[in-house]
Amino acid sequence: MAEYELDCFGEACPIPLVKAEKKLDEMVVGDILIVLIDHSCAMKNVPEWARKQGHNVEIDEVDDGEWEVVIEKMK
Amino acid sequence: MDIRKSKFYKAWFKDAWPYITGAVLLSVFQIVTLAATGNPWGVSGVLANWGAWIVELFGGNVDKWYYFSSEGAQATLANGFLKDAGTMRNLGIIIGALFATLMASQFKIKKLKSKKQLIAAILGGLLMGYGARVGFGCNIGALFSGIASMSLSGWVYAVFLFVGAYVGSKLLIKFFM
Amino acid sequence: MSETQTGTTRIQRSQSSRTRSRKPKKNQIPYAIGVFAAIAAIGIILSTVSANLGIFWFTGSIFGFILQRSRFCFTASMRDPSLTGSTTVTRAVLIAFAITTIGFWAIKYGAFLRGLPIPGQGYIAPVSFATAIGALFFGIGMVIAGGCASGTLMRVGEGFTMQLISLLFFIIGSLWGAHDFGWWKLNVISEGRPVFLPDVLGWGGAIVVQLLLIGCLYVMADKWENRKKESDS
Repeated sequence: MAEYELDCFGEACPIPLVKAEKKLDEMVVGDILIVLIDHSCAMKNVPEWARKQGHNVEIDEVDDGEWEVVIEKMK
Repeated sequence: MDIRKSKFYKAWFKDAWPYITGAVLLSVFQIVTLAATGNPWGVSGVLANWGAWIVELFGGNVDKWYYFSSEGAQATLANGFLKDAGTMRNLGIIIGALFATLMASQFKIKKLKSKKQLIAAILGGLLMGYGARVGFGCNIGALFSGIASMSLSGWVYAVFLFVGAYVGSKLLIKFFM
Repeated sequence: MSETQTGTTRIQRSQSSRTRSRKPKKNQIPYAIGVFAAIAAIGIILSTVSANLGIFWFTGSIFGFILQRSRFCFTASMRDPSLTGSTTVTRAVLIAFAITTIGFWAIKYGAFLRGLPIPGQGYIAPVSFATAIGALFFGIGMVIAGGCASGTLMRVGEGFTMQLISLLFFIIGSLWGAHDFGWWKLNVISEGRPVFLPDVLGWGGAIVVQLLLIGCLYVMADKWENRKKESDS
């Protein structure tokens, strides 16, 4: 199982989501993608989108207004 | 007791609300705004006035411009920045959002990441400003308030806004990502 | 949905990424209380100047608070259906349209019935080619800049430098638009006229037709999201 990191600090909507979507496509089931986000709207729409796609999602607030969205590819 | 452990704090101030909650509350205050002030909510017209005041600050004059020539516009400009109700509302939006962010302990100055972002901000800002003047408003004044006021213009605006957003997405992915 | 909500199973991450250096989080609530006091104080001072100023200030602060808390984004409502296929925000916006239509209708119709001037009719803008061009420009701009007018103001409050710049250029663009407005008015806008739906469909007809339209759009948005999902899997 590989683990990837996607640095989206400073990126505004919808770029983090588009980047995460692209990256997840390249990964295989079981891989983990960690998206680094500091945009409060992306922090909501990236996890929401990933959950709807059926992936496992965890959110970690690592600093003031900074989050790590951990996505485990499920299918 | 630590307020941060309270479930009410978490629900009201920390976790993001569902979009529906936002929709209902914004609607309530839209209706309050029309009932209390006699006009619905608008944002972008005020920004044109800010521009006019900035021009005046640098010794310029916009009185000859058709847009600012009406009696109402002249009165607003003469009254000044600090006595303009619309200005207060726009400043209120900024400070209300600041309060919400601080309350969640999520405030951080986010610096520009790249030149691309700078160009996107400049180009996007210019297009929005120009579009809002020509199209009689922004997403709030022309779209939200327009449709709520049962104006045909709101629906026409919505259709072309959707097309614009589609074109914008393509440009964003191609040039600004 | 809770931000800290965990998935069905805990995701196993490698130790190295978990133990990355982590500063202890600061508590910003004291600053928030300071800002709250400032909002109240400024509002009270403004109210003594004029009640109207006070109302605008307080409703503005409330709008900002709601927009930030719910991450409400008119830009996303127009952009996401084509970009990601998600219509969650779109449907929320449609709900807002429906509620405000009902409220505005009541206020306007009530004034009409009592023979008073109907409030807010200044927002019934003329429909012309300029409406289309303006909306098209605005739509492109808001997606590129990552937020519309209200969204930009809200994100300035959140501390985004990018939106501060786009706000500045929004103002410059507004001036540019205001400068050219005479030309647009003379050549394009004067061709169109404002259409207030109750004038065409009657008071009852207007609200029924508009709510039905919003309802249809809601169903379409829902179907659109599910269609995308099925084709993906």
